[in-house]
Amino acid sequence: MTKSFGSQIRGGESSCRVRLSTSKVLSAGGVLNIAIALNWEDYNKFGAELPIDEETLVIYEAASQTPPDALPLAVKPGEAIAVPIAEIARPFGDKSKNMVVLGLIAGWTGIAREALLHGIEKKLGRKGPAVLEPARQAFFAGESFAREHPLAVDRTLSPAPQRETPLLLGDGNEVCAAAALFAGCQFFGGYPITPSSEIMHLLSREIWKFGGGFLQAEDEIAGIGSAIGASFAGKKAMTATSGPGMSLKTEMIGLATIAELPLVIVNVQRGGPATGIPTKSEQADLLQACFSSHGDAMRPVLAVTSVADTFATTVEAFNIAEHFQTPVVLLSDQEIAQRKEAFEPIDTSRIPVIDRLRPTPEQLDNYHRFAAGADGISPISQPGTPGGNYLASGIEHNEEGAPTQSGVVHERMLQKRFRKFDALQRRRDLIEIEGDLDAPIGVIAWGSVAGVCREAVAIARENGLPVKLLVPRLIYPVIEKVYEEFFASARHGLVVEQSFQGQLYRLLRMYVNVPDGFISLARPGANPLIASQIARKLEQIASKSLQSLYV
Amino acid sequence: MKSVEIPTSTQPAVYKSNLKPIWCPGCGDYGVLSALCKALANIGRPPHEIAFVSGIGCSSRIPGYTTAYGFNSVHGRALPIAQGIKIANPDLLVIAAGGDGDGFSIGGGHLPHAIRRNLDITYIVMDNQVYGLTKGQLSPTSPCGAKTVTSVYGSMEAPVNPLATVLGYGCGFVAQGTPADLPGLIALIEEAIRYPGFAFVNVQSPCVTFGSPDWQLPQHKKTLKKLIELGHDPANRLAAFDLAQQYGEELHVGVLYRNPNPPVTYDQLVRQRQAELAGNTVQKDRILEMFKVA
Ligand SMILES: Cc1ncc(C[n+]2csc(CCOP(=O)(O)OP(=O)(O)O)c2C)c(N)n1
Ligand code: SF4
Repeated sequence: MTKSFGSQIRGGESSCRVRLSTSKVLSAGGVLNIAIALNWEDYNKFGAELPIDEETLVIYEAASQTPPDALPLAVKPGEAIAVPIAEIARPFGDKSKNMVVLGLIAGWTGIAREALLHGIEKKLGRKGPAVLEPARQAFFAGESFAREHPLAVDRTLSPAPQRETPLLLGDGNEVCAAAALFAGCQFFGGYPITPSSEIMHLLSREIWKFGGGFLQAEDEIAGIGSAIGASFAGKKAMTATSGPGMSLKTEMIGLATIAELPLVIVNVQRGGPATGIPTKSEQADLLQACFSSHGDAMRPVLAVTSVADTFATTVEAFNIAEHFQTPVVLLSDQEIAQRKEAFEPIDTSRIPVIDRLRPTPEQLDNYHRFAAGADGISPISQPGTPGGNYLASGIEHNEEGAPTQSGVVHERMLQKRFRKFDALQRRRDLIEIEGDLDAPIGVIAWGSVAGVCREAVAIARENGLPVKLLVPRLIYPVIEKVYEEFFASARHGLVVEQSFQGQLYRLLRMYVNVPDGFISLARPGANPLIASQIARKLEQIASKSLQSLYV
Repeated sequence: MKSVEIPTSTQPAVYKSNLKPIWCPGCGDYGVLSALCKALANIGRPPHEIAFVSGIGCSSRIPGYTTAYGFNSVHGRALPIAQGIKIANPDLLVIAAGGDGDGFSIGGGHLPHAIRRNLDITYIVMDNQVYGLTKGQLSPTSPCGAKTVTSVYGSMEAPVNPLATVLGYGCGFVAQGTPADLPGLIALIEEAIRYPGFAFVNVQSPCVTFGSPDWQLPQHKKTLKKLIELGHDPANRLAAFDLAQQYGEELHVGVLYRNPNPPVTYDQLVRQRQAELAGNTVQKDRILEMFKVA
């Protein structure tokens, strides 16, 4: 379920998009099967976010007095039916319109009536029969209306099969916070910002139970600063923010890099720059995630691809941060962070949790904090440990931690700080590749757009196109080999993302030879990317690429 | 890099590292370092139980010259880092330090919040009324009219009054010292560290290179007024405000204000909350149960 709002704090227009399927739902979906407009003015404020086509059933408020053949829509829908929603709801109180609509949908589609009634009871039962009963009656009234007014085309769905293990339900922000606790996060410092605040809300409630600490800081700089302090003190630490806050954290990210302190920084992307569009999704902070902060500073960047994936990828972010003693940027986006997704239970026993390397008693006898083995990683001590005393600093330092101005030492320490990430080049498992490995056409997508592209690729394959898909969960460093192999057969395709510039496309071109046949399909935020449209684009590419075989 | 033995005797030398300070000869910060090491020796906590955080500036180099766990961070951000450390491990003795630019200009936004949260942290500012490290620009405590490389014709700004400011923010322990009175400074720092809550010590620590030649240690020595000799009662916050008003005119040294009833600290509350909620701990492998639909 994806919610979308205008910028009002309370009231005003809001939309809610629900997508139901008996198989896995991969994205919020494109064109609506059923669109419900309580009034046209608000409906149309969402424009392309609520697309309609020739098959859509449109249910709308009869009081709008719009004739079904004169709807204020760009496309003529499959069927439009005016329902006196307000009038049906009136006897049950003015908050009952939603219940009437639920009844209409249940009546016309046969979607799990009992589940809907159970949901109503769960939601309103606590408020007592005076609230619950009218809501139920409104639902029944909607249902009767539907029964009395059959649709031109029958839209009854066959009943969903019974599941053995029930699905879980949560949004990306909640799942991210839960995963942080699972990974052993014991400190959160941050400053509220839409659409990331729910991470902080959940942790402020739960982290104490795990022996952790929490700070709502005075700004994002203090948020990340406190998390760096906690990490220095030996705790797994996290901060979470969105675009503007990420910009403020930049200097401190460099500090964590040079002081080699583990830290997870979550950026739930929204429309930017500056305040941009705070309530809508975008993928335009990728280059910032990879390259912000001055100096030669390198940090891994991971991106979640669905609500369910947010669990494993967040734990992975902690594992990488701890193992490599580095800040890690974990990119989510508003679409994933704030949509409620039903997902399969996750077998957490199969997800490893890694802790930072600590010095042995022998190493503490003559401890040099930044002395590294071949892999560039040095055991990290923490205050309270006798013999492990050292100076952490943002100033360049030698192996002992002593400040230096020497170019020779600077270069040696840079080599160490970069060398340690060589091992990440072996983490091929963090890039998902689906489909026939020899396919001549490829799609590359990340974040919430990955789900849309999974659907697009499925449609294209049904239409007989040989397409494969690449979804990086670890975006930076770019694991060049994986892309080179991907491009070996796929000389044509798309890099799909929700940004104006096409930031992933540009990033890849920095590191790999992206074939000329690969095109950037980039749309800025608040404009949904639609699977069927991407599939159509793939067909166009296919027809051209097959032609090019014969010239 | 630091001495690794746990001190058997509490000699100040135990707290001094073998790094040679980069400070100019005669810089006031030497006196602060020496006073701090003596105060720590009097307290007797071993260096490994101390976390010492600073920002950037000449004065912010100080953690590296001690054997504590040091953190020389970025300009202005010592306090957020220090608070994160203290919340993460309340057992540690946490000290933050830096210059007047570090604390009252770039880091000025953090100070009121550190004070109102009231973690048990000691914050030492080496106030030299100039930017030392960057070679002599105007600082937030430079007096109006001060001529520096960025105020060639004289500063047009009124300075920050650190003492009145922190008192106004509600700081529970406020003191001022100078290396010109080393025994006094040692006692102040020791008392600040022992105070159970956020404690602020403003040290008039002259910059011999870029500071006013008329405001160096000899002048301090001549003009300083010991609050104890003035008969000031540190429990009297209003009297402390009156004295604080004279920042920049009089050199008062001693404790301006010590809250006679120190309130509970944030780090104590962190502990309490953890203990209260520890019984509700969820097994990590059952963490996803919060997403079950009833
Ligand atoms: C973000 C940032 N801005 C500016 C600087 C440059 N800078 C370093 S120290 C400093 C001011 C030093 O003055 P102060 O904090 O009073 O310390 P002092 O050197 O006098 O001890 C400045 C402006 C910096 N390091 N970082
Ligand atoms: S420039 Fe001033 S503050 Fe810096 S070390 Fe020299 S005397 Fe001290």
